[in-house]
Amino acid sequence: MNEMRHKGGDMARYGIIVDLNRCTGCMTCVIACKQENLTRPGVSWNKVLEVENETFERIVYFRYACMHCEDPPCAKACPNGAIYKREGGIVLVDQDKCRGAHACVAACPYGVISINPDEEYFPGENVPLQAKGESNRVHPPGKASMCTLCAHRIDEGREPACVVACPSQAMTFVDLDDSQNVKPTKFPKPQALLASEGSNPKVRYIVSNDLFKDVERRISKKADVHS
Amino acid sequence: MEKEEQLVHAQWAVRPGEGMEAGYTFCDGCNEVPFCGIKFTKKDESVTHVEPWPDFPASPPCSKAYATLQRLYHPNRLKYPMKRTRPKGSTDPGYVRISWNEAYDMITGHLKRIKKTYGPHAVFFYVGDPKEPRAAVQRLAATFGSVNYGCESSTACRRGAMLAELLTYGFPTMGNLPTEETKVTLIWGTNPAYSGQPFMCHAQLLEAKERGVKFIVVDPRLTPTAQTLAHIHLQPRPATTAALAAGIMHVIFKEDLHDKDFCRDWIHGIDELKNYVREFPPEKVEKITWVPANKIIEAARLYATNGPGGMKTGAQGTTHDSNATNNHRAILLIPAICGYIDVPGGVLKPTNPLVEMAGPWADGPPEFSMRDKMNQMKEHRLDIEAFPVWAEKLWEVQTNYLVEWIKQGKIKGLLGWGLNTMIWPQSHEYQQAIAGLEFAMAVDYFYRPWTHDYVDLVLPAAMNYERLAPFAFFDRKIFGRSPIAPLGECKEDWKIALDIGVRLGHKDLFFDGDVEAACNEILGLWNITYDDLRKNQERGIGIPAKGPELFKKYETGDIRPDKKPGFMTPSGKIEAVSTTLKKYGYPALPEYKEPMQTTTEYPLILISGSRIPFITHSKWREDAPWLLELQREPLLTINPKDAVERKIQEGDEIILKTTWGQMQVTAKPTIMVPRGVVGIMHGWAKANVNELIPRQFDPISGFPVFKEVVCQVSKI
Repeated sequence: MNEMRHKGGDMARYGIIVDLNRCTGCMTCVIACKQENLTRPGVSWNKVLEVENETFERIVYFRYACMHCEDPPCAKACPNGAIYKREGGIVLVDQDKCRGAHACVAACPYGVISINPDEEYFPGENVPLQAKGESNRVHPPGKASMCTLCAHRIDEGREPACVVACPSQAMTFVDLDDSQNVKPTKFPKPQALLASEGSNPKVRYIVSNDLFKDVERRISKKADVHS
Repeated sequence: MEKEEQLVHAQWAVRPGEGMEAGYTFCDGCNEVPFCGIKFTKKDESVTHVEPWPDFPASPPCSKAYATLQRLYHPNRLKYPMKRTRPKGSTDPGYVRISWNEAYDMITGHLKRIKKTYGPHAVFFYVGDPKEPRAAVQRLAATFGSVNYGCESSTACRRGAMLAELLTYGFPTMGNLPTEETKVTLIWGTNPAYSGQPFMCHAQLLEAKERGVKFIVVDPRLTPTAQTLAHIHLQPRPATTAALAAGIMHVIFKEDLHDKDFCRDWIHGIDELKNYVREFPPEKVEKITWVPANKIIEAARLYATNGPGGMKTGAQGTTHDSNATNNHRAILLIPAICGYIDVPGGVLKPTNPLVEMAGPWADGPPEFSMRDKMNQMKEHRLDIEAFPVWAEKLWEVQTNYLVEWIKQGKIKGLLGWGLNTMIWPQSHEYQQAIAGLEFAMAVDYFYRPWTHDYVDLVLPAAMNYERLAPFAFFDRKIFGRSPIAPLGECKEDWKIALDIGVRLGHKDLFFDGDVEAACNEILGLWNITYDDLRKNQERGIGIPAKGPELFKKYETGDIRPDKKPGFMTPSGKIEAVSTTLKKYGYPALPEYKEPMQTTTEYPLILISGSRIPFITHSKWREDAPWLLELQREPLLTINPKDAVERKIQEGDEIILKTTWGQMQVTAKPTIMVPRGVVGIMHGWAKANVNELIPRQFDPISGFPVFKEVVCQVSKI
């Protein structure tokens, strides 16, 4: 039941490195994602948390979404085997298999999975951009919903919408297996959020240790509330 | 969902490409020109996807650009002309749909009648947000024969700082991005991470920091700009700018760090300035501004000993107080005494601007906009008595006395594009004044009750994906756009202005209503047409410069039209003592004036008008639900310590109160604001902070006091 289904080979391990020293909390990633994927009202795959540290006089704007874990706890938790890793290590929900069991929502240490509500932004209206929507823009109510790393764009050779959109260039789309791509000089030590969870996330962060601890405390608290 | 669709979803099918075409336009999300670039996908005259326009000068755009797509298809959009059927003052204006013919007949009928009865200057022409229609509306005002044209920039935005720049430097500048030569940059009263021109420049500032440029950021708030860039962050008490600048100059002069040759040769009134700032030692300035004396000294040394130094100032962050003009002038003198003006890496006067545009789009190209005719009618300007310095330096009318002019019967009609009564302090006085006009018309995207309840006619404007005009230009590069057909009966702003011109009997002057022909009239200045822009859609067209970029042009005579060395000021020098201010009896030095005093009843200082990144003014609160999800309530930012003292917690409903009014808002304790200061975003119809601001104005610029008023906050 918990067996992971790999689609394609293991040619790459895609992830995002977020430089929190550049992020300004401008929310462009959040809205660029909404536009790209037309998620339902209240569902934001990209989230930004403001974490303040009075001692350091710093406000950290922490952008997060599905971490595309190497060992995704959500996949293990799903009773229907609906969450799988496809080529590139992208973690996806198979909308066909998902029965809206909510187990993934509780299992995710980062609190980034939602269940699609049945609300629409403009109910009863024939909005042309929705009518022409592609598969990544279809979100059946009651099913699990999370960032797909814009797999549909990656398949076309394009980077995720949030990465391309970032005005402060705080995000870099990387193949963690490609040492050229990861540029060790530019990214001193990208850190994994809540590494102790053992989920091995492929979205990593550049930030000072003290501030990252603040972020981890806040995310744990939020995820607890969420589940 | 159908089985087949599910399969497609699971396999992440490639985007359907059939029938899809690329289109290009600009974002009008925050009313900036130059514009940010949008590349979109269209199919059958519908826009389906939005992307950053690759390699566009202002790109990638921010959240608002993506939200313009949701705005485009918002069911509440105005799609037809509408006229009021009940008298003004009725609870429901009773708007009904009419034809464009009827609308235009109404407009031209009233225009002709008012002109005949009261004269042409009794019609006020106004362009608010977006700025895009300015050139076309200016042409309409000039042709109709009214000198009384104003805009949001001449109400509370860019023109206040521009006035200070013209008085001091003789040319407008908001500073420059750091170049390879720049060693230090002074960012004062602006937060380019969220706003500021050139737009979306934060990434470039970060790169400058990475290559070693030092940054001094002056802002009362702990902005993302201060956090990501500042080596030294000075957090002054709001509205004490001139004192802080005097303190910095005091240290520079005292420690002999100024550029002596430049000061002697090129600053008018340098001795008076030295004498004046002698009275501002850092310890005294600390008491006035709250900025620690050692930080003032440190900033002065860092800036003066790391030349060349640049500057970045904001459109209006430093001009929303009762000493606006001289406060801003004081900032401008810091790079001047260091000799950083028009040197590589410093504060530049562009050598080869597109002279035919004579500035940015926001000013309008002088020939097309009939600037000569407007200047000839100058004596009829309504602002000439109250704001003579303004009227001498700027051709757009200062609008803040609109209430008085309407009451005095000097204005009888108003044609407004993007008109918004919430821009003015004590907004209700402007609403009532506008309601008292014989005729008022508004062009907009949505019905906005706080303005449209008080006019006679509301016209539906085409949105950014549906507009051809205006084209964009950056330095010497020009870009066009490729619009889709407008929804409903929407027309683009330019089209409406041109149509009115034609119906007033000026068929040729208004290109028979053809927007592309109007654009071509301007593009003809460089021997190109809109068709050429289409052929070079993504890359744009560069207009070659006549020569290389030159520096220290004040020495060579390349700044003044008479080719004499010097600056475009009455003295020919940068003016520490302003000849023009002296002439009209204002303080001629950038003197400090103590702002409104806190009291035990009102112990906090209220700043409004500063931006949050995903909302501009009153727009976007209902235009795009995606953005509304990010902030649904008017949030008051308050320092956590001030909040604790008042037993206020995050999310509490609280009362914000000034002498002039009070309103209910939601508390957001944050270290973004220092102790003693609270901040709120303006433009919430349900909590319009401008009702809490008095109609008090800087005597020189006439600018309102959005960042000075004292207040109290309490739990309900």
